[in-house]
Amino acid sequence: PAQAAEKVYKLKLAETWPTNFGVFSEPARRMADLANKMSNGRIEIRIDTANKHKSAFGVFDMVRAGQYDMGHSASYYWKGKVPNTLYFTTMPFGMTATEQYGWFYYGGGMELMQKVYEPFNLLSFPGGNTGVQMGGWFQKEINSVDDLQGLKMRIPGFAGEVLAKLGANPTNIPPGELYTSLERNTIDALEWVGPSMDLRMGFHKIAPYYYTGWHEPGTELQFLVNKRTFEKLPGDLQEILKAAMRVAAYDMTIKSHHESGENWAAMKAEFPNVQVKSFPDEVIRALRQANDELLAEHAAQDELAKEILDSQDSYLKTVRQWTDIADRAYLNSFE
Amino acid sequence: MFLLRLEQTINAFSDWLGKISAVLFVLMLFNVFYDVITRYLFNNVSIGMQELEWHLFAAMFMLGVPFTLKAGGHVRVDLIYEGLSVKKKALIDLFGTLTLLFPFCLLVAWYGVDFARESFELGESSGDPGGLPYRWIIKAVIPFAFFCTFISGVGMMLRSINTLNGHHRSDDYIPTQH
Amino acid sequence: MIGITMFFVALVMLLIGFPVAFIFGGVALWFGVYAEGPDMFAFMPFRIQSIMENTVLMAVPLFVFMGIVLQKTRLAEQLLESMGKLFGGVRGGLAISTVLVGALLAASTGVVGASVVAMGLISLPVMLKYNYDKKLACGTICASGTLGQIIPPSIILIILGDVMGIPVGDLFQAAILPGAILIGAYVIYILIYTLVKPEAAPALPMDPNDGTRKQQIFKALKAIIPPLALILVVLGSIFAGIATPTESSALGGVGALFLALIYGQFSWRMVFDSAAETVKVTAMVFAILLGATAFSMAFSYTGGEEVVEHYLSNLPGGAMGFLLLSMLAILILGFFIDFVEISFIIVPILLPAAEILGIAPLWFAILIAMNLQTSFLTPPFGFSLFYLKGVAPPQVRTLDIYKGVVPFIILQVMIVISILLFPELYGLV
Ligand code: NA
Ligand code: NA
Repeated sequence: PAQAAEKVYKLKLAETWPTNFGVFSEPARRMADLANKMSNGRIEIRIDTANKHKSAFGVFDMVRAGQYDMGHSASYYWKGKVPNTLYFTTMPFGMTATEQYGWFYYGGGMELMQKVYEPFNLLSFPGGNTGVQMGGWFQKEINSVDDLQGLKMRIPGFAGEVLAKLGANPTNIPPGELYTSLERNTIDALEWVGPSMDLRMGFHKIAPYYYTGWHEPGTELQFLVNKRTFEKLPGDLQEILKAAMRVAAYDMTIKSHHESGENWAAMKAEFPNVQVKSFPDEVIRALRQANDELLAEHAAQDELAKEILDSQDSYLKTVRQWTDIADRAYLNSFE
Repeated sequence: MFLLRLEQTINAFSDWLGKISAVLFVLMLFNVFYDVITRYLFNNVSIGMQELEWHLFAAMFMLGVPFTLKAGGHVRVDLIYEGLSVKKKALIDLFGTLTLLFPFCLLVAWYGVDFARESFELGESSGDPGGLPYRWIIKAVIPFAFFCTFISGVGMMLRSINTLNGHHRSDDYIPTQH
Repeated sequence: MIGITMFFVALVMLLIGFPVAFIFGGVALWFGVYAEGPDMFAFMPFRIQSIMENTVLMAVPLFVFMGIVLQKTRLAEQLLESMGKLFGGVRGGLAISTVLVGALLAASTGVVGASVVAMGLISLPVMLKYNYDKKLACGTICASGTLGQIIPPSIILIILGDVMGIPVGDLFQAAILPGAILIGAYVIYILIYTLVKPEAAPALPMDPNDGTRKQQIFKALKAIIPPLALILVVLGSIFAGIATPTESSALGGVGALFLALIYGQFSWRMVFDSAAETVKVTAMVFAILLGATAFSMAFSYTGGEEVVEHYLSNLPGGAMGFLLLSMLAILILGFFIDFVEISFIIVPILLPAAEILGIAPLWFAILIAMNLQTSFLTPPFGFSLFYLKGVAPPQVRTLDIYKGVVPFIILQVMIVISILLFPELYGLV
């Protein structure tokens, strides 16, 4: 038994992010470090960034096939492969980070997530939250639903679908050409992440309006684990790995809030001309309605989708009442 | 001569791939042009049409590789090669196809099959609104193109063998011309 | 160490003259399988897919097509000849025109393969027709085709901005002056060279039937306008917000067909033939990328990166010493690894030290960008050299290209040194 305890498990993890991708790069490293220390060196995790494996969006397939044992990514990237993975990152008008963690760990979210991932020989765990993402940079003001008509905006995924329903034109632009395209009005708007990532792209110099978020209220990243690999680990190492992932995710959530706060303050001081705007109520109402209609379509098409959406909906209805008289009431008291 | 006829058949196949690629290119050119015009003049964007751009682009250059191999268009460092006799050149090509080109193409094609099959089994499609379905088709281009490059390489190998057997003269060599 | 051995084996193998793309791929295969087993190649489809999805690379076939159509309709030839004649008795007029056209193309794309190949198709045949020295012609084309890296929009600058946390717009702005000086240096070099060696770049013969100088100029301008207008449309469409830089190259392709139509040279046969040639050139470029991605995969998965990291994290010296050594390191690494790897892997290693030494990030970034641009030109692995060889007529040898590019590399190094010594002149500190 003494010998068996010495066995070292070497795991490989693929990230969707390139090298040094700010706060996104932290959870995998913290998790690997924690797992190694907590297991007294019995778990060793090697991390490859997208610069090494060159396939940011191949992480799902590579972990599934066992080319990598683990991945760090975001669930909604796999929507084209497995539509129901969409719901485990963040949803327009959905839960905040805190509410969503509540749903994952105590509201049945984890069970539903495994139900989606297990058929593909995968396990998925929360991997850190960015908090509310900004609504994006706009060249023109949005004062009414009509202003969304024909709006050419780089906004991928489901949020793009919601906007398209109101007459906007989601547009594909390679990241390398975003700056020139926005500067030259080839597109009218784009969404990226938030102050932490947007500042270095320089969008504040070429677009006057920075809109607050509606479409990604709490973007949760994910740890993917190859199920067979995980099951081969001794029970204690499985628990250590799970704990390490959970702590790393928690840590990124805090760090994101911290960094966004610092970056936003710096940005405001350095570029006082950036105008922060929120969509008017009319636009928000229309977006909500479009969102609800689309989700109803999803639910009608797939039983598991309906189960997930119902679960999120009923959890949100309950927990939001508390958020309202707690967080919201408290924040309102400052106005 | 069976080997000569086989070489000719394979060459014809490679040329045929070239023709398909040329058509794909013209489609891609007008695809991009169409997307620019409709976006700028009519304020209309189709993600599907935008994705079609890179589907055509990718299929075009992937299928172009075996054609270009047959057409002698792949760059060589000719510091030494250029001064060699036809037979020595044929020997180098024989050696290169057997030890470098064949294993590389076959191995990538082999893993490419799994890559495309998984996409097929998942029914993978684009994750963006209005994007293209059937992602496995463009993924299947990878094993297909690499297998075609292997076939085209067989043509190159036969050509080397036929040359060593004295069936090609030096003026058969087609230099890259543009 | 496997990575380093692999590099030298590839170098020797290149010499036997088998196509470059398959030497990269084949050598990577043997070393990769030897070190890690065949399963490493299960990563290849993923890597290939990211090349297939990289829509910025669509500029390669689109610009190549524009070049081929301009060449087939002889419009490119007229453009360069007329520009050459505008320079009158000045020798090297064609080469200088090539630099200027290269600069215009550079301002509309950041993809080196696109402009080198297009320039090779457009201007190499013309220069050879007028008995230009092959080395001068090749060097000029490689160097001006590579300008796209430093003249915005540029992929290197975008990646560096991301890695170093500098707004892209600031980088674009900072790169304009060094880029302009580089263009000026090329032109001055060509003028001096042709002064010393007049037979290398003969002035275009003046046809006595061309009439007075004034008439000649008028005639030349008339020939210049259509193709130049085409290039300006490409540029203008980006600035007017009609098209992204990549899409602008499609406007160039369709525009070239439109010109052919005006000049009565359009036929579907011509379109198809041009497309077939475009495919051939494009496949040549992308086969190299496919082989190179296998090569860099084998290099990094067998521990090559760690070796490089180890050496770089221990660079000694003060600010100037550090800058000199890191520039030297990047220049040497440019022989081995492509610029994306260098930007993402090497630059982050150097960055903390640069910060401690108080080196202005903008200055450091421009230095790196200029330096990486040089790596496209350095024999034996400079991609620009392969690309030009791929479209050059058979009488142009690899050695002509290698030799021709050396003076331009020296020019670039000199400018890098001047930025190193006098950053304030470039407004970088
Ligand atoms: Na985002
Ligand atoms: Na450029």
